[in-house]
Amino acid sequence: MTNETSTENKIESAIGERMTTEPDRPGQAVPATAEVPGVIETKDMSVFYGDFLAVANVSLNFGANQISALIGPSGCGKSTVLRSLNRMNDLVATARTEGEVHYHGQNIYAEGVDPVEVRRTIGMVFQKPNPFPKSIFDNIAWGAKVNGFKGSKTDMAGLVQEALEAAALWDEVKDKLQESGYSLSGGQQQRLCIARAIATKPDVILMDEPCSALDPIATLRIEELMMELKENYSIVIVTHNMQQAARVSDKTAFFNVKLNDTGMRTGRLVEYSPTEQLFTSPKEKDTEDYITGRFG
Amino acid sequence: MSVQAPERPTQTSFPSETEYAGQLGRRQRKAVAFKFFCLAMLTIAVLALATLLYTIINDSFGLVAIVNQNDPDQVVADLGYDPETTTLQDVSYDELVGLLQANVSSGVGRRLERDQRFYEDRLVFEDEATWAEICSSGEPPTGCTAAPRDHSNVYALVLERVVVPDVIASYPLVPSLLNPEVFEEEVAAGFEAGRFPDYQPEQAFIEWRAWFNPTFLTTPQSSTPEVAGIRTAILGSAWLVLITILFAVPVGVGAAIYLVEYAKPTRLNDFIQTNINNLAGVPSIIYGMLGLAIFVRVLEPFTSGAMFTTGVPPSDNGRTIVAAGLTLGLLTLPVVIISAQEALKSVPDSLRHAGLALGATRWQTVRSQIIPVALPGILTGTILAVARAVGETAPLILVGAASFITTDPSGPFSKFTALPIQIFQWTSFPQQEFHNLAAAASVALLLLLLTLNAVAVILRNRYSRRAE
Repeated sequence: MTNETSTENKIESAIGERMTTEPDRPGQAVPATAEVPGVIETKDMSVFYGDFLAVANVSLNFGANQISALIGPSGCGKSTVLRSLNRMNDLVATARTEGEVHYHGQNIYAEGVDPVEVRRTIGMVFQKPNPFPKSIFDNIAWGAKVNGFKGSKTDMAGLVQEALEAAALWDEVKDKLQESGYSLSGGQQQRLCIARAIATKPDVILMDEPCSALDPIATLRIEELMMELKENYSIVIVTHNMQQAARVSDKTAFFNVKLNDTGMRTGRLVEYSPTEQLFTSPKEKDTEDYITGRFG
Repeated sequence: MSVQAPERPTQTSFPSETEYAGQLGRRQRKAVAFKFFCLAMLTIAVLALATLLYTIINDSFGLVAIVNQNDPDQVVADLGYDPETTTLQDVSYDELVGLLQANVSSGVGRRLERDQRFYEDRLVFEDEATWAEICSSGEPPTGCTAAPRDHSNVYALVLERVVVPDVIASYPLVPSLLNPEVFEEEVAAGFEAGRFPDYQPEQAFIEWRAWFNPTFLTTPQSSTPEVAGIRTAILGSAWLVLITILFAVPVGVGAAIYLVEYAKPTRLNDFIQTNINNLAGVPSIIYGMLGLAIFVRVLEPFTSGAMFTTGVPPSDNGRTIVAAGLTLGLLTLPVVIISAQEALKSVPDSLRHAGLALGATRWQTVRSQIIPVALPGILTGTILAVARAVGETAPLILVGAASFITTDPSGPFSKFTALPIQIFQWTSFPQQEFHNLAAAASVALLLLLLTLNAVAVILRNRYSRRAE
């Protein structure tokens, strides 16, 4: 017990140190990524479910046209953090977010910010593929329509094609656009969901364990797709699969869960570094233990 | 064959293998016993339903003993035909009209003519001047515009008005099939005992009668069971269904959408939810009292139609279709809300999240993604709830359904009767013929309910196929 508390203290001091020092030393971590301008920045963000503090004091800066991965053991709050980035957590009746989340410098939790607008520009792909029970075409077209797309039928057809091409699905479905989205395989459904997100012209795409329900081949295709998408979009991905984080991401944030004095299991950010560095020379002992498989 | 693992001496706190094996037999016996118990319960349920159907069908068909006030053969003979070769049905249209003219009072004749004319170009009972006057009045009767009667129509009138068959005794279906001669003996005994003082035994004849027949469905209520029908009751029930649906569906589905999609779990919303569940269990008679107090009394200007007209209101009190329909709507409402809620809750949250994550508003998501998926469930629940309301009797009695009414309902503000009311009234009469009518009306009511349920099943299958 004492051992654990001391570890926790160490982590907390480490986080504190990073928080105060990092902005002052740009470029020191790894020059290649430090120059990237931020898209979303969380400032001292904590998320509560009722009285339960799910994740505390997260300060993260997600770079533009980068893939940022959030990893950590179950219950560490990485999905909660992801869902706070486009205010999807608002849908949980008891959820409450403290601190700030800045999107291009604007706090999306500020008064007067419409979460509907936030969610269009910061799209989301879920763990389990969840196409609408409609045709492939309508799955894509609906997002554009509800956001006020007023174009002609040909415009819409063009938009659908572009979105499907961007999601590397067009060649597989171009002859059956009127078939149900459910007629596709799991991997295709997930790419359909990505195409659907793309169709609303987002800036950032959040992915919540997008491959956990897929087989390795479908996973590989999604990973290849993410590498392509990064040209045009910033991506934040939550994953249980450390190899996946290592393969696709530019920066990785490691979260851990600690039992505090009152028995609450609160998630905390342990380390946020360029992926290569985090997996080869982690700064924190917890990170090292996790990535070498000693727990989690 | 029994499977037995070798004993493991180390696991001392576990029961022995033989103990396990001994228990297995008992567990299996229990399983078999329970299965047969369930089968027995199912048998009881099926038997109960079968008995219900048997009772209804048994009374709806069977032998009847009839006495004609005027012997049709005699009528034919009076017209100068040979009854051996010509029946009343073979007589020409003009002669049938002539028979009516000779046998029906001029008042009844005028009423028949106003309902429907006998000839396109001339009048039989009414004189030209009066006819022109009533046809140019504000509310001309149907006879002014409707096509004239045809042969079969007038033949039915002649049977009803001239021949006047009187059912003096009736016999249920099963004994009619098994031993019809008992019925003949009973009728003969009835004559001997002087139970039919108006008739001679040789006048009576026995024939098959289906109390449930097309004419029964299309003729209005009458005080003579031989010619009584349930058209007014069917139309009344149809109006009630319409108003019930118009009230309960938008209100119920709207409330359900709010409760499932928008309401946060506050104490007030929990309270509302609990009360909706409780309301679904409130006895229908209480809804009847509520309907009487609110719709018939307090809202009388509305339910009597007085507030929609400056002249004479369509009804002189609030005991109208709209009052009863709204009462049944209230009765149905909690069930509609609950079933719509269940249907909406069964739509996975992943669809809501998918919609909202694309930047759709709550309503856009609900309208385009949630409701289409929930629709089959909502429709099924609603139709079953309405079907339940169609058979309700108690609230209608309280709200003031007329038990004897021969005119079709003309709109939401007219007096009315309904199928269950008609059945209730007929069963309360002492004559056996009315019991036969009640059974036949029950067949009609059951068919109506079956139709509604079939519609529910069809809609469900159709929409769930589309949703895939």
